[in-house]
Amino acid sequence: MSTAIALRGIRKTYGKNTALDGLELDVAEGEFFCLLGPSGAGKTTTLKTVAGLEQPDAGTVELDGKDMRGVEPYDRGVAMCFESYALYPHKSAYDNLASPLRSPRHRLPAAQARERIGEIAELLGISALLDRPVGRLSNGQRQRVALGRVLVRPARAFLLDEPLSHLDAKLRQQMRAELKAIGAVQRTTTLYVTHDSVEALALGDRIGVIRDGRLVQTGTREEIWYRPSDTEVARAFGRPRINLLPGVVTQDGGFRSADGTIELPVGAQAAPGTDVLIGLRPRDITLHGPGHELTGTVYVTEVLGRSVEVTVRLGEQQVSLVAPRSDTTGLRPDDPVRLSVRPENLLLFEADRPERPGRRIETR
Amino acid sequence: MTLRKRLSGWLADAALILYFVFALFPIAWMVILSLKPTNQLFSTYFSFSPTLDGYRTVLGDSEGIPFVRFFVNSLVVSLGAVALSLLVGLPAAYASARWRFKGSENLMFTLLSFRFAPELTVIIPLFVLYQKLGLFDTYVGMVWVLQLVTLPLIVWIMRSYFADLTPELEQAALLDGYSRKQAFFKVAIPLVKPGIAAVSLLAFIFAWNNFVFPLILTSNEAQTVTVGALSFLGGDRPKYNLTAAAALVSVVPPLLLALTIQRYLVRGLSFGAVKS
Amino acid sequence: MGWRLTLRPYVLIVPALLLTCGILYPFGLGLYYTLFDFSASKPQPDMVRFENYETVFTQEAFWNSAWVTVLYAVGAAAVETVLGVAVALLLHRSTIVGRVLEKILILPLMIAPVIAAIIWKLMLQPSVGVINYLLKPFGLGGVQWTDTPTGALLSSIAVDVWVYTPFVAILALAGLRSLPTSPFEAAAVDGAGWWYTFRRLTLPMLWPYVLVAVIFRFMDSLKVFDIIYALTEGGPGDSTVVLQIRAYLEAIRFQRYSFGISYTIVLWAVVYLAAMVLVKHLGKIQRKAAEVAAK
Repeated sequence: MSTAIALRGIRKTYGKNTALDGLELDVAEGEFFCLLGPSGAGKTTTLKTVAGLEQPDAGTVELDGKDMRGVEPYDRGVAMCFESYALYPHKSAYDNLASPLRSPRHRLPAAQARERIGEIAELLGISALLDRPVGRLSNGQRQRVALGRVLVRPARAFLLDEPLSHLDAKLRQQMRAELKAIGAVQRTTTLYVTHDSVEALALGDRIGVIRDGRLVQTGTREEIWYRPSDTEVARAFGRPRINLLPGVVTQDGGFRSADGTIELPVGAQAAPGTDVLIGLRPRDITLHGPGHELTGTVYVTEVLGRSVEVTVRLGEQQVSLVAPRSDTTGLRPDDPVRLSVRPENLLLFEADRPERPGRRIETR
Repeated sequence: MTLRKRLSGWLADAALILYFVFALFPIAWMVILSLKPTNQLFSTYFSFSPTLDGYRTVLGDSEGIPFVRFFVNSLVVSLGAVALSLLVGLPAAYASARWRFKGSENLMFTLLSFRFAPELTVIIPLFVLYQKLGLFDTYVGMVWVLQLVTLPLIVWIMRSYFADLTPELEQAALLDGYSRKQAFFKVAIPLVKPGIAAVSLLAFIFAWNNFVFPLILTSNEAQTVTVGALSFLGGDRPKYNLTAAAALVSVVPPLLLALTIQRYLVRGLSFGAVKS
Repeated sequence: MGWRLTLRPYVLIVPALLLTCGILYPFGLGLYYTLFDFSASKPQPDMVRFENYETVFTQEAFWNSAWVTVLYAVGAAAVETVLGVAVALLLHRSTIVGRVLEKILILPLMIAPVIAAIIWKLMLQPSVGVINYLLKPFGLGGVQWTDTPTGALLSSIAVDVWVYTPFVAILALAGLRSLPTSPFEAAAVDGAGWWYTFRRLTLPMLWPYVLVAVIFRFMDSLKVFDIIYALTEGGPGDSTVVLQIRAYLEAIRFQRYSFGISYTIVLWAVVYLAAMVLVKHLGKIQRKAAEVAAK
């Protein structure tokens, strides 16, 4: 597979603020790549740099292997969906969708354009709104028009900036499912920006985690989930959040919690005595299952539909886990419980430091 | 309590009406004076036989004062000044709203300082210069010097309008496949059109109302109504009714235009410092 | 190709820049002239360095003009501020009367100041003027309005007030309409009276808007010309010769160009200093207003 979008050492500062700090990114031809990060991490700047709307202070942007330095945005052939929608407020929804198809570079005959806009509007469920001026659309409707303006035209790449963020929960879930099924999206390289890890896991062929203007980890959803590069990546994915318990590496490469109540053989590739955090995902902990066993007392339970989140006190630590409702009937606060963790689901990290989150430590 | 409230309400309305009597009476009396026949000028105040003779005399170019030409001159130089300012000012306003770059802030503050510079500082040297260059008493000379009035106004106010417009709209147009020029004309300009219309009218009014520039830099050919109206007061026997007629004729265009830009006036008057 | 991107904004401002230079040139030329003794009677001037400025500052006429200018500017700006804010407050009640009158509020402001002065000159004229006629029932007829020193100055200020009060009122009204409502609701719940609300809430939050208006008005009236030229021509005697009128008389009437410009340069310096002080003050006031609004 060839590389469609390549960013090499991109650096961009606004006054004293560094938005991008040597960003490296490769998106393969036809791939759906999700860029995940908190606000202010540089996601939007990354998209705008690819589009040529922002000029990097250093580094190069390549599209299909060609250096884009000095190439104007309209000559890059990419389409972008702005988080602010950037719809033309003086035009109707239809005219907004038609805008790319009337431009000198993507012009279609009026009849063909109408047909194409009709298809896309149908797909996004906005057919009934086409005659309305943009000012009379709700935020969710505007966002779909903005997405439609991208999908309506052929493009070398789609750049989507939080395109589902303003939809209501139900519609968002539905659109999330449908987005990747859209033909244009399947055919076109897509760089998708989001702060929602669920969205990233659901949509991304690959996911890039961005933080402080750098890409901290890139990989498939399995790689990101099972081998997160550090504690922050581990925290970013999965709700409830991963349990991270402080402790040290023992002489035989095991883990002992700070208060000494938990001991787990993990085969840590680190010197004995190293301060570490052990990571246990709530859905990987079972009640009475196979694996290492830990005993504690119930602190609180919270029903989440068919499953239940149980917070368990283990010595001085608390651990949350998600279990099927049937396994938790009769559990009361202060009841003793036995938890089990499969060894392959254990993650080990260096302890967090003020300057950077703890990196993952290999285990045998 | 309610009686007191209603009473104070009436008092407030009365005070307001009092102010507006002060504001409008001079205009009303000007109308009255302009309709007086010359022979009743000194004999009565409010009861007389109204006549349009005053206007006929003023617009008939008698009395040796070519008032119609002054009127046309005002129109030409004001329109010319606004057109030139729009032509060079809009791109500058756009550039300085969109990009922070060296020189732009300097230019902006130089323009603003013109607003507060005494006019005579520039007119006296221009008076000397224009005589040499043959620009004295010409349209070109007037349009040029009126930039001092119209250019800062247009640049500063349009800058505040462009700055309020998110650049992402033009960016979206670029990605839709339009050139920067098309993005400017098809997206930015239509969205600030009300601003352009309002500021053009305001600049026109200020150019029209200007007095110092034509007073010193014109003598006859390019003289405007503001100076022209004053000349009816000269001579041994001031013709008060003609002065009133001339004054009224010369305030009609700005007054009519002013009523159409009410809504945009605040930003215009405060150079964008206060938004409405 | 990168240079095209950095150059683009410059290309757009070049025309305005050139035009500005075209206006700056006479300014510079004027400044240069002040170092000579250029006049119509001396077309080949000699360099006199700062002699013109020395003469300006040692002339009694200058100090008289400066005094008159300050009186005029302070008087006009003060009356316009009080009257303008009062009118804005009255209009803000938006009664039926107010809404009708608001539409014609700007009319005097859109009349050329020189025409306004002509109108008032006709009204104040002792024989045909309507003011004395209207005052006669009160036993005040026959006042020589523009023929006494004090009367002339007060009349000029009155014309300025007539023209520019709407300016202050319009800006103050815009300010009133943009004030946040929550502090007022809180005050109403607490049962605060009108005067308390006005002094503690309205006024501090409104001040930035009013001050913008005051800055514009004060600096404009320091360089007043049109109104005085048409109303009194500086008379009687020297009683209303403000600085720009003095500069006009020196440069155009007496054709002493260098000397006349020196006057305007001094005036410019005064306006600039006043602007600096006022703008600094504005920043302080704005911060205070933000604090009040946040409470």
